[in-house]
Amino acid sequence: MRIETRSLSKIYGNTKAVDDVSLTLSDDVQVLALIGPSGGGKSTFLRLLGGLEIPTSGEVIMDGVKLPLEEGALRAIRRKNGFLFQSFNLFPHLTALENIVLPLVKVYGRSQEEATQRADEVVERFRLTDHVKKRPGQLSGGQQQRIALARAMAHEPSLLLLDEPTSALDPEMKAEVLDLIAELCECGQRIVLSTHEMGFAKRSADYVLFLAEGKCVEEAPSSELFDDPKTEQVSQFLRKVMKW
Amino acid sequence: MKLFLSLTVSILLGSTFCFVFWVVASHDYQWEAIAPYWKNFLNGWTTTLLISAAALVLSIVIGALLTAGQLSPHRIPRWLSRAFVEIIRGTPLLTQILIGYYLIADSIGWDSRFGVGLVILSCFSAAYLAEIFRGGIESIPQSQWLSAKAIGFSEVQTYCYVIIPQAIRRVLPASAGQFANLIKDSSLLFVISVHEFTMQARETNANTYATFEAYLPLILGYFILTFPISLLSRNLEKRFAYEN
Repeated sequence: MRIETRSLSKIYGNTKAVDDVSLTLSDDVQVLALIGPSGGGKSTFLRLLGGLEIPTSGEVIMDGVKLPLEEGALRAIRRKNGFLFQSFNLFPHLTALENIVLPLVKVYGRSQEEATQRADEVVERFRLTDHVKKRPGQLSGGQQQRIALARAMAHEPSLLLLDEPTSALDPEMKAEVLDLIAELCECGQRIVLSTHEMGFAKRSADYVLFLAEGKCVEEAPSSELFDDPKTEQVSQFLRKVMKW
Repeated sequence: MKLFLSLTVSILLGSTFCFVFWVVASHDYQWEAIAPYWKNFLNGWTTTLLISAAALVLSIVIGALLTAGQLSPHRIPRWLSRAFVEIIRGTPLLTQILIGYYLIADSIGWDSRFGVGLVILSCFSAAYLAEIFRGGIESIPQSQWLSAKAIGFSEVQTYCYVIIPQAIRRVLPASAGQFANLIKDSSLLFVISVHEFTMQARETNANTYATFEAYLPLILGYFILTFPISLLSRNLEKRFAYEN
C-alpha cells in the first residue's frame, strides 16, 4: 500500500485536528493501524486518507496519485474505498440485504439481479445469511457492524477504512467483528483502521501510527512500536491501556 | 393533589357537557323547515371534501418547494421561503383570504372563487407543512449523511434514498394532523362565497331562521371528515414509536 502524506493538516475552527503530518509507507504495508488518545486526530486522519474530508493544507498521495481537492472528483475516489464507522452505519429504513444492494445498484451501476447475487455472496462469506431480511433495529450491534462491513466490502474496495469499528460494542460482539476483520487482513485486503484495541493492532497491523493532538508522535512497524516504543508519550500510553 | 385535579377536571368538563347537551336537547326542533335544503347541504359537504382534497395535494407540492427553498445552500431562495412561511404563519387565514381574493386575485382578473380559495388554502397549509417537513429532514442524524457520503452517494442521491424516505415516516403523523386542520380551515372560505359546507348552513339559516337545525349538521359533517384522520394520525404515531 503506497500511502504518502505531505504536511497534511485539517483545521476545524480553532482546532487543529490533524497538524502537519508527513508519512511515507512502503509497498509491503498491507494493514495500517492508527492509535492514540481519543480526540488525537485518528478519525480525521483516516477520513483524509479515504477522501471523506478535504485537507486544509498538504496532500495525500495514494498509490502515486494525488487526491483531488474538489468534491466531485473526490467522490470518485471514495467510491473505490470502503468505509466502516463506530456505529449507525446502516440505513434503518432498509433491510440488511437492501443496505448492501442499494449502493451496488445506485453507485456502481449493477443490475438489481447482479447486485443481489453479489450481496448474497458477501453475506454468506460473512456468515450473515440468517439476518438479511431484518432491519438494523432488529439486529445486535455486532451483527449491524458485520452487515455494514459486508456493505463496505461488496464492491471489492481497493482500500478498506475502519474508524474505531468496535468501540461501541460490548466485548463479545467486539470479538465477532474483530474476527471478521482479522480474516480480511489474512486474505490480503488493504486496510487502514483507527482503534483502541491494542492487542488487535499489534497482531494484525504491519505498521502503526501514534497520533496525539493532531501530530504524529511516533510511527513504526507494529512489533517495533509495541515492544520498543521510542518516545516517553507512547510508552506511557501503552503502559496505561495495557495495564488492565 | 392528583385526586383534586381529576375531580376538578371531571366536574368542569362533565357540567359543560351536561349544559351543552341540555341546550341542544331542550330545543324544539323544526327539521321540516330545513328539509327542502338537504341537497344544498350535501353539495356544500362535497365541495368541502373536494376543495380539501385538492388543497391537500397542492399544499404538499408547495410545502415541499418551500422546504427545498429553506434548505437551499443559496441565500436568496432561503430568505424568500423563510419570509413566505413567516408571513403566512404570522397572519390570520381570514385576512389572507380577504386580501388574496379582493386585492391580489382581483388585480390579475381572476374571479373563480373556488380556484382562488383553493390556492389560498393550499398556501396557508403549505407554510405549516414546510415547517413539519423541514423538522423531519433536520431530525435525521448527521451519521446518516456521513454514511451516505462514504458509500459514494451524491447529495441528490442521499436525499432520495436515505434522508427523504426516513423523514417521510417521521412527518406522517404531524402531516395528517395538518390535513385535519385544513378541512376545518376551509370553512372560512364562506367569506368569499365559496359554496362549501359552512356557507350552505349560513344560507339555510338566513332563509329559514332555523338556526339550530341549520348549524348542527356542520358538527356531524366536519367530524365525519376529521375523525378518521385523527385516528390515522394516532395510529401512525404509535407505529413510529414502535419502530424506534
